[in-house]
Amino acid sequence: MIERQIELRVNGQSFTILVKPQDLLVDVLRDQLGFTGTKKGCGTGECGACTILLDGKPVNSCLMPALRARNKDIITIEGLGTPEHLHPLQQAFIENAAVQCGFCAPGMLLSAKALLDANSHPTETEIRQAISGNLCRCTGYAKIVQAVKAAAQAMTQGDGNP
Amino acid sequence: MTHVIGQRIPRHDAILQVTGKAEYGIDLARRGMLHAKVLRSALPHAKLLKLDTTRARNLPGVAAVITAADVPNNRFGFTHLDQPLLAEDKVRYRGDAIAAIAADSLKTAEEALRLIDVEYEPLPGIFDPVQAMEPDAPKIHGESNIASHIKIRYGDIELGWSRSDEIVEDTLTTQMIEHASIEPHAALAEVDGRGMVTVHSSVQRPFLIATDLSKILKIPLNRIRVVVTAVGGGFGGKNEITMEPYICLLALKTGKPVKLVYTREEEFQATTVRHPYIVKYKSGVKKDGTLVARQARIVSDAGAYVSWGESTLSKACIHGAGPYRIPNVKIDGYLVYTNNSIGGAMRGFGVPQLGFAHEVHTDHIAEKLGIDPLEFRLKNALVDGSSLPTGQVLESVPLKETMRQAVQLIGWKKEVAWDEKAR
Amino acid sequence: MKKRGKGIACMVYPIGFTSYPNPSAAFVQVNQDGSAVVLTGATDVGQGSTTALAQIAAEELGIAYDAVTMVTSDTQRTPFDLGSVASRVTYITGNAVKRAAGDAKKTLLQVAAEMLDVMSPDELEAGDGKIYVKNSPDRNVSVAAVAREATLVKGRPPIGEGSYNPTTTFLDPETGHGKPYEAYVFATQIAEVEVDTETGQVDVLKIAAAHDCGKAINPLLVEGQIEGGVAMGLGYGLMEEMVLENGVVKNPQFTDYILPTALDMPLIETAIVEVPVSTGPFGAKGVGEPSLIPTAPAIVNAIYDAIGIRIYDLPATPSKILAALKEKERANILKEEE
Repeated sequence: MIERQIELRVNGQSFTILVKPQDLLVDVLRDQLGFTGTKKGCGTGECGACTILLDGKPVNSCLMPALRARNKDIITIEGLGTPEHLHPLQQAFIENAAVQCGFCAPGMLLSAKALLDANSHPTETEIRQAISGNLCRCTGYAKIVQAVKAAAQAMTQGDGNP
Repeated sequence: MTHVIGQRIPRHDAILQVTGKAEYGIDLARRGMLHAKVLRSALPHAKLLKLDTTRARNLPGVAAVITAADVPNNRFGFTHLDQPLLAEDKVRYRGDAIAAIAADSLKTAEEALRLIDVEYEPLPGIFDPVQAMEPDAPKIHGESNIASHIKIRYGDIELGWSRSDEIVEDTLTTQMIEHASIEPHAALAEVDGRGMVTVHSSVQRPFLIATDLSKILKIPLNRIRVVVTAVGGGFGGKNEITMEPYICLLALKTGKPVKLVYTREEEFQATTVRHPYIVKYKSGVKKDGTLVARQARIVSDAGAYVSWGESTLSKACIHGAGPYRIPNVKIDGYLVYTNNSIGGAMRGFGVPQLGFAHEVHTDHIAEKLGIDPLEFRLKNALVDGSSLPTGQVLESVPLKETMRQAVQLIGWKKEVAWDEKAR
Repeated sequence: MKKRGKGIACMVYPIGFTSYPNPSAAFVQVNQDGSAVVLTGATDVGQGSTTALAQIAAEELGIAYDAVTMVTSDTQRTPFDLGSVASRVTYITGNAVKRAAGDAKKTLLQVAAEMLDVMSPDELEAGDGKIYVKNSPDRNVSVAAVAREATLVKGRPPIGEGSYNPTTTFLDPETGHGKPYEAYVFATQIAEVEVDTETGQVDVLKIAAAHDCGKAINPLLVEGQIEGGVAMGLGYGLMEEMVLENGVVKNPQFTDYILPTALDMPLIETAIVEVPVSTGPFGAKGVGEPSLIPTAPAIVNAIYDAIGIRIYDLPATPSKILAALKEKERANILKEEE
C-alpha cells in the first residue's frame, strides 16, 4: 500500500506524517498523533463522538480520509481549551452538569463551538439542530442545551456586546 | 454550619471530560501492545464439527489464537452456569464466541479471523419464546427451554375475581433494546514478570469481573487486578464480564499487553440486550374503582443464555402489581431460552417492561369504568403501610406526593381532590 | 390533523439487589492538614456517584467538599463494592462511606475532647472544618490541628472503615413472599403529546417527572439522572427496537437503530420529592434506574388521550399508529352502515 507523506495542521501545530489513502482522520489523530480526546463510538458517522472542526466546520472524522484534511485547519477538543484555560463552552458544560459519562462531550462541544462561531445568539431550536448529529445516551440533552445558552451569553458579555 | 449535602456541585472529573483528558477504555495504549479480535458464530444454532486455527496461527503478525481448549474453566453465569467463554461443541446464537486472536495490528487480527476454519452442522433454531415453551420445540440447553418459573401468590385470586364487578384483560409486548453506550466495550490486559494480571476495563462492577476472572483463569484474586477506566456509559451493559477473559488469556500466552475494542456491530450482535417481554394482564375491579385482583403471566425471551435473566424477571414479578394496593395477586414469570441475543442487565431490570404493561393496562381499566386515570391511580395508590404482593410492608411511600407534584408542573385534564394526609 | 393529549404513569422501584447480600465497603483517612482521602470500590459510570459520595464524606467529617479526594474502582486499591448497578450506590455505598467517615471522626472527636478540655467526645460536633463544643461553638479547634495531634502526638492516625449491606430475605419459591429489598422509591411522570393523524408521527411536547429519592445529596446530578432517564424512556416508547431475523440483528448500527437526538427531546420539568428515610445516608435513597420507567407508558397513554388509539406493543411507531387509525376508521364506517 502506498504511503504518502503529508502535513496536518492540528490545533495550530503542524505535523508531518505518513498515511495510506484509506487511513481515517480519526485514527490518525488518535493513534498516530495522540489526540485521544477525539472519541470513536460507531465508525459510521452516526454518533458524532469523533466530531472535529475542519476549517471551522464540524465533520465526523471517522468518515474522512486523513489525506483530505491536508492544508486545512483541524481543531480537536485539545485545541478548544485546557484545564488551565477553559473555553467558555467547557466552563458552561461543567457548571451546568452537561456532562455525565462524558464520552460525547468532545464532539458535542465542537459542534456547539461551530454554532456559536457562526451565530452568537442562537435560539433553542438552533442549538438543538446544531447538536442533533451528536448522540448522548446519558443526559437527555436538557443540560447540554442549557450550557450552550449559558456559554453564548457569557461569550457575548465578554465581547462587550449586549 | 454550611452543609455539603444538598449542594448543586458539578461532577468531580468534569474538567477532564470537557478537555478530552479523561482516559476511557478505548483510549488505553501500551508500547508493543497487541490487538485482539473475536470470531463469532456464523449460525444461530449449530453443532461445531470442526475448528481449525492453523491457517490463522501461521499468518505473519499473529501472536496467539485461543479456543475453548485454552480456557481453564470455560463456564460462567450468575444463577445458571450455562455460558461458555468460547464455544465447545455447540453454538447457540449469532454472538457466540468461537476463538480469539491477538496480532500486531488490528488489520492482521481481522484478516486472521477469516483464516479460521469452522465446520458447522446446522440445528433447527427457535426464535419465538412462546413457541420455545412447546414440548416439541428444539432444545437449546438440556430437556426444556424454560429456564425459570417465578411465582408470586398473594391473597386469594379466585376470591378476587368473585368480588370483581368488572374484569379487564390486556396483552402487551415490549421490544429488544440495546444499551447503546456511546463508548463500546473496551479493555486492555497486561501481565507483569511476577504473573500479576492487570485488566483495565470500562465496566460497572470491577469486583465481579475480578472474581469471575479468578474462576475462569484459575488464578487467585491477589494476582488479578481490575482497574476501571473512565466509563463512557454503562446502563447495565457493562455489568458483567465480556472480553476480559479473552485478553487475559492472550496476554498470558504472549507476555504482551493486549487490547480489545468491540465494534458497534458487535455491541449489537454479541453483547447483552434488554429482554423483550410478553405480558398478559387480567385485573378485577369494583364499580367504584377499587382494584381487587390482578393476575399477570410474563414470558421473557432469555436468548441463548440466562445471564441476568432470572434476576431481571424476579424483579419484574415482584413489581408486577404496579404501585397499587391490590389484595389478591397471582404472578407467573417464565424465562425461556431462544437462539436470539442474550438478555442481560439493563437500567430498570425488568421493571420498564412491566411498567409499560401495567400502566397502559391501568388506563384501560380506568376508561372501562369511566374514571379519570389520575383519580383511579389516586384511589388505588400504595401509601405508607401498604404491602407489596411479597407481603412486605412499605414504610416511606410518597407516591401520591409525586402525582401531586407532577400535576403541579404540567397540569391535568381535570381538577382532582388531593388528600392532605395522603403522602 | 394534529391532536394533543396527556397521559400519566406511576411506578415503584427498589434500591439494591433482589434478596442477595450486596454490600459495599469504604476506607477513610483524614490527613494532617484536615483534608481526607476516601477509598471505595464503587464506579462512576456517568451518574455522578463519586461526587455524591465525596459530599457524604465531607458532610460527615464536617469539612469542605474540595477537601475530599476519592480513590475508586480498583480491586487491589479499594475495598469491596458490589458495583454500580441496581440504583444502589448512593444508598448502600453512601452508607458505607458515611460509616467509614464516622469511624475516622470518632478518633478526631476523642483527641479533640482532650484538646478542648471537655468530658466526653459526645459533647462535640464537626462542621466548617472545625470541631466545636455543641453548646458553645466558639470553643473549637480545626480538623487539621486535631488530625495532626492525633497522628503525630497521640500516634493514632484518624482512619476509618465502614461497610453496609441492606437487610433482605430470600423469597419463598412457591409464594414469592419475603423482604427482597430494604428501600423503595416512587415516581410519577405526565407526558403531553401531539399526534399527526396524517402521518402517525408523535411529537412529545413536554414531560413532567416527579421522583422520590429520599433526599437529594446533589440536586444538580439528580436532575441529570431524571432527564437522561426520560430520554431513554422516550426512545423505548417511540423509536428504539432491535430487529432480529433468525437470530441476526438486522439493524446493528445507529443508522437504523434510532436513538433520541436533541431534536426529539421535549422540555423536561423535574420535581425532586424529598421524604428522607432513616436507613439512607442523610435520608437518601436512589434515582438512577427509575427515571426511565414511567416515560414510555405516560407517552402511550397520552397518545390514547389524543387520538383514542391504545398501543399495546412497543415502540409506538408512526406506522403502528397509522395502521390502528385506519382500523378504527374502518370499524366506525362499519358501525355507521349497520
